Amino acid sequence: MTRVALVPGCLALLPEHASLDDPVDELRSACLAAVAWLGEDVRVIAGAQGARVAASLLAEVGTAPVTSGEAAYLIVGNGSARRTEKAPGHLDPRAAEFDEALGRSLEKPDPDALRALDLGLAGELWADVGPIVEAADLLSRVATVAVDYDDDPYGVRYWVARWE
Amino acid sequence: MLRLGRHAFGDDDALMMAIVNRTPDSFFDKGATWAEDAAFERVRLVASQGAEIVDIGGIKAAPGAEIGASEEKARVVDFVARVREEFPALVISVDTWRAEVGDAACAAGADLLNDAWGGADPELVDVAAAHGAAIVCTHTGGVTPRTRPYRIEYDDVVRAAIDDTLGYAQRALDAGVAKESIVIDPAHDFGKNTFHSLEITRRLGEMVATGWPVLVSLSNKDFVGETLDLPVGERLLGTLAATTVCAMAGARIYRVHQVPETRQTVDMAWTIAGRRRPKRAIRGLQ
Repeated sequence: MTRVALVPGCLALLPEHASLDDPVDELRSACLAAVAWLGEDVRVIAGAQGARVAASLLAEVGTAPVTSGEAAYLIVGNGSARRTEKAPGHLDPRAAEFDEALGRSLEKPDPDALRALDLGLAGELWADVGPIVEAADLLSRVATVAVDYDDDPYGVRYWVARWE
Repeated sequence: MLRLGRHAFGDDDALMMAIVNRTPDSFFDKGATWAEDAAFERVRLVASQGAEIVDIGGIKAAPGAEIGASEEKARVVDFVARVREEFPALVISVDTWRAEVGDAACAAGADLLNDAWGGADPELVDVAAAHGAAIVCTHTGGVTPRTRPYRIEYDDVVRAAIDDTLGYAQRALDAGVAKESIVIDPAHDFGKNTFHSLEITRRLGEMVATGWPVLVSLSNKDFVGETLDLPVGERLLGTLAATTVCAMAGARIYRVHQVPETRQTVDMAWTIAGRRRPKRAIRGLQ
């Protein structure tokens, strides 16, 4: 069975951005547990920044990305960064509905809905969904194990989810 | 590692040493904590403000009424014992140059002997060694305790400060004080005019580069007052500016009147210098 996990591309997860008090401690715990659950051979589906987050999380659990062979998959993506007035992209009233639909599609999972995501709207909402769409085929072969984290503590919607 | 008596600190820790005067006439507080209970309230306050060290002194640095060793002990020793009892987590420093006073203070619980007068009493290092206490080795240019500088000149004040404090540190080592329990202090304004103290501040990195932990005592001093033409009560901002410069250079211990203000200043500079993480950074990183 192929294991697949999703984490957000939150740069505060990178060790070079560590604070004395971790502002993303719960998110970090969920990410590390999910990445550890993937096992040793993990392929990463992510943009450039997301790949750095993935490599950092994998390093923390003692492994590194692979590019071939039988492997689990780590997807790096997240919802809108325009969810509130204090969000990085300020408030876009369309963000809530977009994220709700995306969250439902991840939780089921619903690969068809993920493939049909409006990438233009996602761009306007500062949602990093490219890797999620790219991984939609993978999600047609797995069932949801758990959504470990679902929150937007700083105006960006994060999910940590696992499928198998 | 820095070991101050019963207490150990990491190499990246910057420590606040809060001044607690058991004197009726010190320049900044003018006797505000002369009464024992007032001094104890001061300890309670600075402990709540996060100071790691209290520096208890029974004699003001400037010239004044002669205070003998027995009177100095009467002001300091029982007070040290009381602080030790109620605040076991605090490092207790005693500001004295006298071995006799240091011995009694260490027996009562002092962890650190802050000899502001550059080893005027040669037996002080033996006392520190005997009690396993730490010692601050200061540079005063060889002046007699409780005298003001008068027409003192140096070829190179920083070189003199380094040579004298390292010489003193060697004496402490030879006496048996642990290497990790020796601190050096250029002693701003002691045996120095304002230009000397400014140069010491500007070139503090040279003292830090010796590898010995450096203490700075800048708080509200005359070199700040003369630089800005401000009286004692109005020197906080100037003190904090000098503190920033010393923190960037890597000074480890800050002997201060105002703990929270200095802590913020040092934390900010220490973080800019890359020795401390921000407390909580998320902006732009979500």
